[in-house]
Amino acid sequence: MTHTLILSYVTFIYFISFVFYLFKMILQKDIWGRLASFAAWLGFLAHTLAFILRWKASHDMGLGHAPLTNLYESLIFFAWSIAFLYLAVEWRIKNKSLGVFVVPVAFLLMAYASIAPGMNTRIEPLIPALQSNWLTTHVLTCFMGYAAFTVAFGCALLYLWKDKTQSKTAPAKSAFSQKLPALTMLDALIYQSAALGFVFLAIGIITGSVWAHYAWGSYWSWDPKETWSLITWLVYAILLHARYVRGWRGKRLAVLAIIGFACVLFTYLGVNFLPSLHSYI
Amino acid sequence: MVLLFIVATLLPPPRDTQEITWLNDLYHSPLFYVLSALFSLNLIICSLNRLPAAIRQFNAPCFPPPPGIFENPETTHFILKEKGMTAGEAIIEKYASVQFSSLKKTKWEKGFLFCRERGKFSLFGVYIVHLSVLIIFAGALIGSVFGLEGSMNLREGETSSLIRLDKGRGVHQLPFSVRCDNFLVEFYDTGAPKTYRSDLSFFKNGALMQTAALLVNHPFTFEGVRFYQSSYGAADETKAVIAYTGAGKESGEITVNIGDTFALPARKAKATVLRVEENIMQLGPAVKLDIEAGKKNIQFWVFQNIEEINHANPGLFAEVPLFNPGLFSPLVFSLKRLESHYFTGLRVVRDPGVPFVLSGGILILAGLIIIFFTAHERIWLRLEKQPEGIKISVAGRASRNQAVMQRRLERLCQNLSKGLAT
Repeated sequence: MTHTLILSYVTFIYFISFVFYLFKMILQKDIWGRLASFAAWLGFLAHTLAFILRWKASHDMGLGHAPLTNLYESLIFFAWSIAFLYLAVEWRIKNKSLGVFVVPVAFLLMAYASIAPGMNTRIEPLIPALQSNWLTTHVLTCFMGYAAFTVAFGCALLYLWKDKTQSKTAPAKSAFSQKLPALTMLDALIYQSAALGFVFLAIGIITGSVWAHYAWGSYWSWDPKETWSLITWLVYAILLHARYVRGWRGKRLAVLAIIGFACVLFTYLGVNFLPSLHSYI
Repeated sequence: MVLLFIVATLLPPPRDTQEITWLNDLYHSPLFYVLSALFSLNLIICSLNRLPAAIRQFNAPCFPPPPGIFENPETTHFILKEKGMTAGEAIIEKYASVQFSSLKKTKWEKGFLFCRERGKFSLFGVYIVHLSVLIIFAGALIGSVFGLEGSMNLREGETSSLIRLDKGRGVHQLPFSVRCDNFLVEFYDTGAPKTYRSDLSFFKNGALMQTAALLVNHPFTFEGVRFYQSSYGAADETKAVIAYTGAGKESGEITVNIGDTFALPARKAKATVLRVEENIMQLGPAVKLDIEAGKKNIQFWVFQNIEEINHANPGLFAEVPLFNPGLFSPLVFSLKRLESHYFTGLRVVRDPGVPFVLSGGILILAGLIIIFFTAHERIWLRLEKQPEGIKISVAGRASRNQAVMQRRLERLCQNLSKGLAT
């Protein structure tokens, strides 16, 4: 079980990365930012390796399904997508201050996966309902959507925080908030990641719907997970409309992105406490 | 006001939907239909409201460019002394066409205007998405009005044409009948089901029309009605196959249920099956018989694994006569096997709305891609004759993602300045 070992290291590396991002924020030294990025990249690569190894292990057991089939595997993949999208964004905007809000989410998911009581970490054969080619596409797109929403959430937190410190220290201008990405850029990032997540979630819902049509006999059964993913989708639809039609920017958009992320979390985890057809995740 | 509408109609359905766990069937309540109708209406009105503006933009000619666009601070100007108009034109056509094809050109009072337009269709992405939401609603409505949703449980060998409709809406008779020929279930070592399958035959007017194997994730359609393998279970009773020997002769196999009575060839006796157990006292399958001979009743258990039990506990029969299958001499009973029969749980659905919903889903994706991955972009170049030479101005406008447009313009300007240097 090499992959479980690697994953426990990955959890630790993400934590280190988060601590470095925190140092960067407080101490304002570039070296911390570089270390943090390096740790995040290292964690991400190891994470990818572990994912592939787990897939291979499943093949070796004669099962051969993508590791996306239970809560443990989905947590691991959620964290992976977040790391992936975050690093892509960091690379694009060439600014490392977002990490302090996004990387800990990946760390917390990994930590939850490894310490939650009763977490089943074994690779298990698939029950008949999951034996479908739609499984990988559906799970992949949904989690890409969730990850994009997480990035939007990180941007929103950063926006609100920067907005606050800026107005407080307007004359002096704290050194840190100067180094943060410009508010307009954060605003654009919130919008872009929300839009990306919106498209991915739409694909996720549609593929899920097609699959449900084959597996359950109905493309939509108002299962709590379905309903909540629709609610999440609508919240982000409101966000996009508010920006496009009403020209909402900044603070109000950030608040919507945070509300949306709360919906994402509920869709993903909270719904497990309701009776659901999605009970395997 | 538009937003007020959106918020007012968007929010209530989700808030209601959370209550599904406590409130039964809210999704088919009149309130839900009314809210959906209001939402659709709102969607239509808002779209129609904004559509004319989009059409105007779509039809807007390239020339003249929007007033003031070249006075924008982001506009780049090149001033070239001692160059003529023809040289300017040549440079623009040569270096701008490296980046853009289909450059339109027109004359104005002081020289020439060039325009390049693309992604016009992006203006309609939003309407495609709105339209597809309406199509999905229509599909759902068609499905709920003309559709059929129910289930049927069939035991192996059973034939039926009746389905139980969902939500206690009664029973529906199909114009054909279905027989479950065979049901098969396999398990993993963990005890979880690996696969289950029903072999079905479809009959119409008594004639066999088609046979099909039904698996989870692999539905089968017969005459527009889709059948899904949805569950299985043990049919009400487990049958026992027993036999007895008397005077060296073995009877044939007798298949019995609980409560069955059969005659025995000795002492005018009758045997009644009292219990059939799959695993009693950890000793495996067994049946309990009651034998009535004259006025006497004898009861005892017949175990399937009698030899092993006897081997493990020598002298058992003497101690516990109740476990002796030969208690009613001269007959010795044996249990050959238990036959458990499964029933297969089928979902039976006819939904004429599916094609609508599916095309709505595809359209929504197309619309979203158009909205978020294309933009309506227009770039203008102005060539102007000035007393000392010529002046080239570059400006552009995008319906979204102005940053990308700005980068494109920068590249154009780099190209141009390269061209101007030579």
